[in-house]
This record gives sequence, C-alpha cells and structure tokens, in this order.
Amino acid sequence: MSGVNLQGLVKTYGALQVVHGIDLDVQEQEFVVLVGPSGCGKSTTLRMIAGLEEITDGDLTIDGRIVNRVAPKDRDVAMVFQNYALYPHLNVADNIAFGLKIRKESKEVIASSVQEVGEILGLTPYLDRRPADLSGGQRQRVAMGRAIVRRPKVFLFDEPLSNLDAKLRTQMRAEIKRLHKRLGVTSIYVTHDQVEAMTLADRIVVMNDGRIEQMGTPMDLFLNPVNTFVAGFLGSPPMNMVSAHVETGDNGPVAKFGENQLQLAQIPSLQNAVGTEVTLGIRPEFVTVSRTADDGAIPVDVDLIETLGSEALIHGHLQGEPFVIRTETLGQMDILDGISGFKIAPELIRVFDAKTGLALPGQVIKQ
Amino acid sequence: MSADPKTHRPQPSRMVRIVDHMKREWQLYAMLLPTVIWLLVFLYKPMYGLQIAFKDYSVFRGVAGSPWVGFEHFDTLFNNDQFLRALKNTIIMSLYGLLFGFPVPIFLALMFNEVLNQTFKKSAQTIVYLPHFISSVIIAGIVITSFSPSAGIVNTILGWFGVDSIYFLTKPEWFRPIFIGTGIWQEAGFQSIVYLAAIAGVSPTLYESAVVDGASRWQMMWKITIPSIMTTIIIMLIIRIGNILEISFEMIILLYQPATYETADVVNTFIYRQGLQGGQYDFAAAAGLFNAIVAFVLVMTANTISKRYSRTSLW
Repeated sequence: MSGVNLQGLVKTYGALQVVHGIDLDVQEQEFVVLVGPSGCGKSTTLRMIAGLEEITDGDLTIDGRIVNRVAPKDRDVAMVFQNYALYPHLNVADNIAFGLKIRKESKEVIASSVQEVGEILGLTPYLDRRPADLSGGQRQRVAMGRAIVRRPKVFLFDEPLSNLDAKLRTQMRAEIKRLHKRLGVTSIYVTHDQVEAMTLADRIVVMNDGRIEQMGTPMDLFLNPVNTFVAGFLGSPPMNMVSAHVETGDNGPVAKFGENQLQLAQIPSLQNAVGTEVTLGIRPEFVTVSRTADDGAIPVDVDLIETLGSEALIHGHLQGEPFVIRTETLGQMDILDGISGFKIAPELIRVFDAKTGLALPGQVIKQ
Repeated sequence: MSADPKTHRPQPSRMVRIVDHMKREWQLYAMLLPTVIWLLVFLYKPMYGLQIAFKDYSVFRGVAGSPWVGFEHFDTLFNNDQFLRALKNTIIMSLYGLLFGFPVPIFLALMFNEVLNQTFKKSAQTIVYLPHFISSVIIAGIVITSFSPSAGIVNTILGWFGVDSIYFLTKPEWFRPIFIGTGIWQEAGFQSIVYLAAIAGVSPTLYESAVVDGASRWQMMWKITIPSIMTTIIIMLIIRIGNILEISFEMIILLYQPATYETADVVNTFIYRQGLQGGQYDFAAAAGLFNAIVAFVLVMTANTISKRYSRTSLW
C-alpha cells in the first residue's frame, strides 16, 4: 500500500508553531489536494512529507513505514516544484535523467526511461534543448518528467502551475489529471487556487493557520462546508454570506434579514437557534434571477453585470453586504438588465452560527 | 489610396533619440559622468603619450616635438636579452598563477559553501580575506621574515628535520613558488567573494530537488554548484587572461634582487627599470605598448573561444 499517513504532524520554527498536529490519511492511488491561503502551512506539510523539513512532532508513514528520520532519497517520493527546479546547464534529456544517474542506473535503462517519459509528456522533440529554450508549459512538463521517470511511490506537487498563464494552467491541469489516471501514483498536490483543487482532487484538504479546516470530496466541500472559512474559500465567486436573525415562524423557524425571511424548516437544529444570529451561506450558482415584480423574490441592489459569455456575474448588495449572482446568459440576455432580485430553494442554503462560524448541525445539501 | 500619415510617421534619427533619452534619464547620465571623466583623464588622455614608443623622445622637446623613429625601439626591444627574459618570466609566472592561483578561490568558495556552522564559516572567511587588506609592503616583509635563513619560521621548521638553512629569496629556483604562493595567500580569499556571490544566486530549489532525487552533497557540488557558477568562472578566467602580463609589479619589486632576476624579472619590472630608473621613456613605452597589445589579443581570443564553446562572454 503506497499510502501516506500523517498523525499529529507538528512543525515549529523556534517558538513559532506553524503546523498544529495534522492528521491525514492519503489512500493508495488517491489524488489529494492541500488548499488554503498563503501561510496556512500547506507547503510546509508537503515539505515535511518530502523530507525537506524536519518533523517536530507526530508520525509520518509512507507505504506502511514510519519515515520521520528517513532521508528524502529513501522515502521514494518525487517532487515537482513551483519554479520547476530544472538544471539550466542540462538539456531536457539530462534533466529528466538526473535522478536515475544519481541512482547509478545503467545507460540502457536511463535511455529507455527518458525516451518513454518524453513520449508520455510530448517532450521527444525537445530532448536536446536546454530549459531556457522552452516555454513555461514545456518546462513544467520537464519538471513532471523528472518526477515520473523514477516511478516513485508518491508524487508531491508544490504549486506547480502557479507560474503559468491562465490558459496554460488550464491545459496543464488537464494533463496532470490525465497523467494521474494513467500512472495511478498516490499524489499530494499543494495549491492556493481553489479551481485547481476542485478540478484535480479526489479529496480536498482545506487548511488554515496550520490546521485542517475540512477534508472531503470536492463536491462535498463545495456543497457542505463546515464553516464560513471553507465556504468562503471554495467556489468562484465565493459563497455569499448574509447576516440573519432566527425567529419562530408559522411553519417552524425562519431566518429574517431586513424585510425578508426564509423558511428553513429542513434544518432541525435551527429550532435550537431561535433568537440567535446566523449567517446564511448562499452559493451564487444556486439562485435564480428574477425581476422585482416576481412573487417572493428577494431584492438585491444591482450595481454591475459582468458578462462572461455563456454566463454572467451580477454584482450587488443585500442588506448592505456584497452579493453576487452567477447566471446563464443563454435566453436571458433580455432580462439581465432588469434584474433586481433572486429566488433560492431553502434546501440549498447553508446556515452558520454567526459567532463561531460553524455550520449548524443536521444540514446536508445533496449532490 | 494615400498612406495614413499617422501610421507612417518617420522615425526620429538616432541622434535625436539619444538626446531625448539623455533629457529623460539625465539623472542616470549624471551618475555615469564621474566614471566617464575618470576614464578619459586616466586611461584615454595618457594614450596620447603612447606615440613616444615611435619617437626619439626628449623631455626637453616634448612629445610633439620629438622626432619619429618608426619601429626602432621595438627592434631594439626584441633584440634585448633582458626583455626576452622578462617576457619569458612573465608568461611562465602568469601561467603558473593561472594554473595554481585561479582554482584556489573557486575551491575556497565551494568549501565555504559547504560549511554549515555559521560561526566557523564567518571566522574562516575573515581569516582568509584579511591578507588582501594588508599592504603589499607588509606582506613582502612577512614573506622575507618567514623565509629568512637565520630566524625565519620556514628554515626553523626545516632545521627541526635536519635540513640546512636555505637562502630562499636569493635562489632563482625558489622565487616563482614563493611569489605564486604569496599571491594566492594574499588574494585567494578575497577573490572567492565573487564565487560565493555566484553560489548564493543558485536557486535553493535546485538543491532541494537534487536531495529528493538522492544526490549527496558531493554530487550536488559537482552537478549543481560548479555548473551553475560556470558563467562566473569563465568571465573571471577571461579577465584573468586579459591581465596575464600584468604580474603583481609591487610584490616583485619588493621581493626580487639581482640574484633572482633570472627567474623574477618580468616585463613590468623591466619597463620600470628602463623607463623610470634608466630614463629611456621611449624604449619603456614601446615595451608597455607591446604588453598592452598582447593583453588585448589574449582577451579577444579568450572571449571568442568562450563565446563559441560555452555561450558565455564578456561582450
């Protein structure tokens, strides 16, 4: 089993603790993405797995063996770095072969491995070129080639696409996904880009301030964030947060905000929250646009409409707080200008305790 | 259909563009000015005096008033045994210096880079940088004292092993090793700063990547550090080759004596003796001009070879 297990992993620099006891079990062949804002400890965690940072406390197990004190080369992991880490004085073939040469593989093995990797990554025409003569995307492919040529048990990716432009990033994202499907190697991928996390991961681990906030499948995290941090971090645009007060209505508890109220009977625990302040999490994608005149629509002060082609982002304010709606444009272009409200199915609203930021228990938005 | 005048506006002349640039970036040109003045005064203006290499120069008639004699001084120069000996010594000592002195700063920088204990590293660096900041006169004094046949530390140590005192500085065969060794001791540490700076510029991720690949520190030094600083090494080598005839004049003057002229006299000391001590300014100027032309040819050749084979060059 080439899984990776982190138990109570801690990292401190002097008196400063930056990773506070992380527990994570990455299954064999799984693609796990660590995502979080800058300084959340995701890269440090990855570097501890690679052996580039000492583990202060806790246990790291790779393939069933505790490797806390095992040298990086003996952990059988390969790492792809943010800035590619290509040797500028070596050509593509020699860069890819570097790890094999260090391990004193035979010339025949090196030549055939480089050839194979070159073909997998479409680098065969560039094997004689130096990194300076390659585009960003090609360099990134060489960096991946260096990692896969050793056939390690675990791939570690440290923000490998962050130096690429948006178009190339999308292309390379798909290539990484394809490569993982083809090779089936356990992969841990660090990024601050939630789109990368959503598209690549079998499982996402959202980190903040050296702790894991939530882990799960991309859709689970997208639909059922456990707190406002995860809710705000995943999704583009992020989830709208609306402050509300819970009151008792005719058919159970209702969330009131301004003149509006939403019946939220599907959340049993809301009954216990009557009289308290909550935050309503509303995904921009889950609302239906409507005109003010529409019955039951919640009014929004629209101040900007961004047309993205097949869809549009409607920016406005609700109760003085920013509110974004994402809607399709096809067949709706004529009504976009007249929009000043929205409707939403209550079961698609996520309710958080306003004080703790935690989701109220008992609510699950199904896929 | 006539061309749109907006899209076919004539390009301003090169001179206009330069003037525009100078007006726009006048602060940069102002900062450049002292260096330009220094170059003109100390390097270009003296070139006027080079013509005395082709004249029968008299201080009373001046540079312009002295009569032309063509290549007469060069004829004399190449028929002068002392000059030919000095030229031979210069080339031999330069090649020795290149062979033994050039790699030492690189080696030192690589070693410093491998030292992990910062206190030890800084102390060691200070110790090896120190001789650079000591006057050549004092360095020569230390060398003379160290190799003294009566109380010098070298002869004292040799005495412990039953070896008779050697008059090192009066023996021609010992002059070159002592001179080269002194040069290395005095300058290697300071010269290593350039390589240390180059090493500091190598991306740490290259090493991290190599660590994950399983490279040892030795392999990282050979496969990452040295290739990464190769551009700096080549540029320093080109500069060194350009200065190949510029042997440390002061140190030789301070260490040599007539008994060691056979191996110690170099072109610059020859020029000094002929020009300043002997008053043969025109003859010395011819020797100096020859020196400069050889240096120019060497630096051009080294640069061209480097450009062709390593993609690295000064220009």
